[in-house]
Amino acid sequence: MRPAAIRPIALALSREMALTALLLLGVSFVVFLILYLSPGDPFSVLLEGQMAGDTARAGIREALGVPKAWYAQYLSWLGNMLKGNFGTSIRTGLPVFGEIVRVGLNTLTLTLGSLLITLCIAVPIALHAAVRGDTALSWPLTMLAYVVSALPVFWLGYLVIYVFIHKFGLFPLISGSSGAQEHAWLYFMVPIAVLGIANGTISEVIRYLRDEMSRVMAEDYIRTARAKGGSVWRHAFKEGLLIPVTEIIASKIPFILGGAVIVEQVFNWPGMGRMAWQAAQDRDFPVIMGIAMVAAAFVRLGSLLQSLVYAAVNPRGPQE
Amino acid sequence: MQRIPVVVLLILAMALAMPAVSWPDSKRDGRPDGGILSYGEYGRPATLDPITSNEMISVRITELVFSGLVAIDEKQEIVPELAERWEASKDGRTYAFFLRKDVTWHPKEGEEARPLTADDVVFTYNIMMHPKTITPLKVRYEFIEKVEKLGDHAVQFTLKRPILNALAKFSFKVIPKHGPSNPLYLTREDPFVQRPIGTGPYILRNITADREVILVANEKYFRGRPHIDKFIAKPFADQNIMSQALMFNAIDMIVLVNPRDLPEIQGDKRFVLQPYNALSYAFFSYNLRNPLLADKRVRRAFTHAVNREEMLEAFFNKQGTIISGPFAPGSWAYNLDVQPLPFDPQRAIALLNEAGFTPGPDGVMQKDGKKLSLSLKVPIEKESEAVKRVVLAFQNYLKNVGVAVRVEFKEWQAWKADVFLEHNFDIILASWVFDDSADISSLFHSAEIGAWKNNFGGYSNPEVDGLIVESKLTLDHEKRRTINRKLHALLADEAPYTFLWTLTNYSGYHKKVRRVAIHPYKFFSFADEWFVPESEQK
Repeated sequence: MRPAAIRPIALALSREMALTALLLLGVSFVVFLILYLSPGDPFSVLLEGQMAGDTARAGIREALGVPKAWYAQYLSWLGNMLKGNFGTSIRTGLPVFGEIVRVGLNTLTLTLGSLLITLCIAVPIALHAAVRGDTALSWPLTMLAYVVSALPVFWLGYLVIYVFIHKFGLFPLISGSSGAQEHAWLYFMVPIAVLGIANGTISEVIRYLRDEMSRVMAEDYIRTARAKGGSVWRHAFKEGLLIPVTEIIASKIPFILGGAVIVEQVFNWPGMGRMAWQAAQDRDFPVIMGIAMVAAAFVRLGSLLQSLVYAAVNPRGPQE
Repeated sequence: MQRIPVVVLLILAMALAMPAVSWPDSKRDGRPDGGILSYGEYGRPATLDPITSNEMISVRITELVFSGLVAIDEKQEIVPELAERWEASKDGRTYAFFLRKDVTWHPKEGEEARPLTADDVVFTYNIMMHPKTITPLKVRYEFIEKVEKLGDHAVQFTLKRPILNALAKFSFKVIPKHGPSNPLYLTREDPFVQRPIGTGPYILRNITADREVILVANEKYFRGRPHIDKFIAKPFADQNIMSQALMFNAIDMIVLVNPRDLPEIQGDKRFVLQPYNALSYAFFSYNLRNPLLADKRVRRAFTHAVNREEMLEAFFNKQGTIISGPFAPGSWAYNLDVQPLPFDPQRAIALLNEAGFTPGPDGVMQKDGKKLSLSLKVPIEKESEAVKRVVLAFQNYLKNVGVAVRVEFKEWQAWKADVFLEHNFDIILASWVFDDSADISSLFHSAEIGAWKNNFGGYSNPEVDGLIVESKLTLDHEKRRTINRKLHALLADEAPYTFLWTLTNYSGYHKKVRRVAIHPYKFFSFADEWFVPESEQK
């Protein structure tokens, strides 16, 4: 790329970064406020199981050095956060960041894997429909995809578990030592497939991609390419496939993360969603805040990636 | 009712003090060593040390990793553990413990194993009582005035005043002085709480990335190496899946089987279902701050109106006992002479009429224009299907006698704030779990009314207060029993709760595991004696 082209991209990127920082700040504040205002005391988890009165409850904050005022609590969290310190979980005492990385990798495998499955199903159907129009094959396939992606993910999850256990006598148990089990890879694939199928994204990818691709196929430059005898695919790929796909993925990341919470719960998958679920029940705010930050950053990263792809493939990009 | 949220009352064991029996130095019992036992837990332990931990999952693991000065054996008798013998002064104010000299701590990585000394015991007590240590144990050991080291292997505790069954309280787990990184107090951020070392039959080897806790046999265990090579605690987020994991041999044991899955496991010859005594019970509690509920006749009417037998049979396969009063039926304090109030809707209506209520135009009882319409707050716990059924049945039973009940399901923390802090409820459904004990003072003594205290219903009765104090002060076990029987009868009559039932706990395990004895509360107390026949060790 020419140096002249890099500067605008760098500029755009730094602007995006500043926006991201603001966004994260906003998210952290809102999440903290919601946690603070929700009933329940985050430190009571330490006292569960004892006959603790008011004094013990006050003493706990003192012992742990927790500021009294809510804004002081938030500012101290923010200060640590800026220094790269996510704090430690109230319940387990483990550093939040390390814990998130540990389980985050599992969630990443789950979400990226499911995304891949979504695309593997949706893209061929969409392209087929776009190129060939409504054929005897594409119509029922599209309908089927629509029905499948309307299934609630927890329902499909339990259905799959039921079928595996009662019909095939297999047990989809995802846990560390299941690696030694027979068909371990299958147990690993099942939750990914469930999330990939039932995250509600397939139908949207199909619809959007088909429309975009049909539109692109009707563009003049494609007609020109066709006339020249050039590859239509090579010309249509960027605008008709790459951009719509990145766009839709970026906009669907929050939904896929939400679906992951449920799939992780149903399949005993040790990921971020399950951790968030447990932390929410315990009001373990350092953990919840940490996960909220990571999830927000993840979502933002998706849209940044999308802008980047857009800027890279769009011939008018840098001047815009 | 295992699946309803449980507020655990940790009150120390009240077992009878009995003469010491000594353990064999090694297990030359002819039973084979080897095999692995993996067991399922519903949830993950937060910490693994005996001081900061306050969940049952952690209590079970610390039972395998640590030992106390004394222990409680299968017959509920006090036996020596780290202390080989002890001497109590005549006035009951000092207890001297003489430690075994052959006990070593589990080796730290890359270090030699160190011997247990009196310093460790003193250290444990000091850490436990330090104001910055947050532990449920503190309130239980406030009766101790001080601890002194008498020698390398001897310590002496001085009590503030003599108390009944003090010896049983010295079953607290001892931690090593060289364990925690902070020598003064223990927080959950200390690495020790995740990588503890103890003197017990099993050594914590590691926690996997999926939070499975792996424990291996301690070859140097002072009572002889435990038989089973390895224990693995596997966390589950879903009880149905945990039961299925047992059926598919992914785990060998479930500590507490979900009542709904009992028939399936029972019908399978590969498994053993072992009942064990649960010192817990479920109840409906009434908020006596509501003038409608302050009348004893109203509360008794409610108790008459509910058919507890029917609920127990329909929702829990009859796996439990209906109770009449505030103690668990397995407890020595339970008064068998008091019968549960019978199911009798006519009597319930008569009692309500007696209390001045008459049926209104809509069928709801009313008095002075006030409707007998109440809120029932129930915490939402995962998969609380049986709880929902109990709640709906209760609503229905009360409707039949003209009482309107509005059910509100609340999230656990919000429910706790409503019940313990705001006292904003009319009726709640919950259960208590006791540790071998019969101390109900925090539930019904009027001094325990207030924010975050256990007498959330605001029950106050000078006679009950007096009996509770008397029961605490006496040093005579028989006398305490008599007092508690009186308390039982009194509270059954007063009905601050509608006492429901104690459910039978069942552990389910593969029959390859033999000689399984279970402690009702700590579960694994006798696990070093469990074994797997050689032919079944895979």
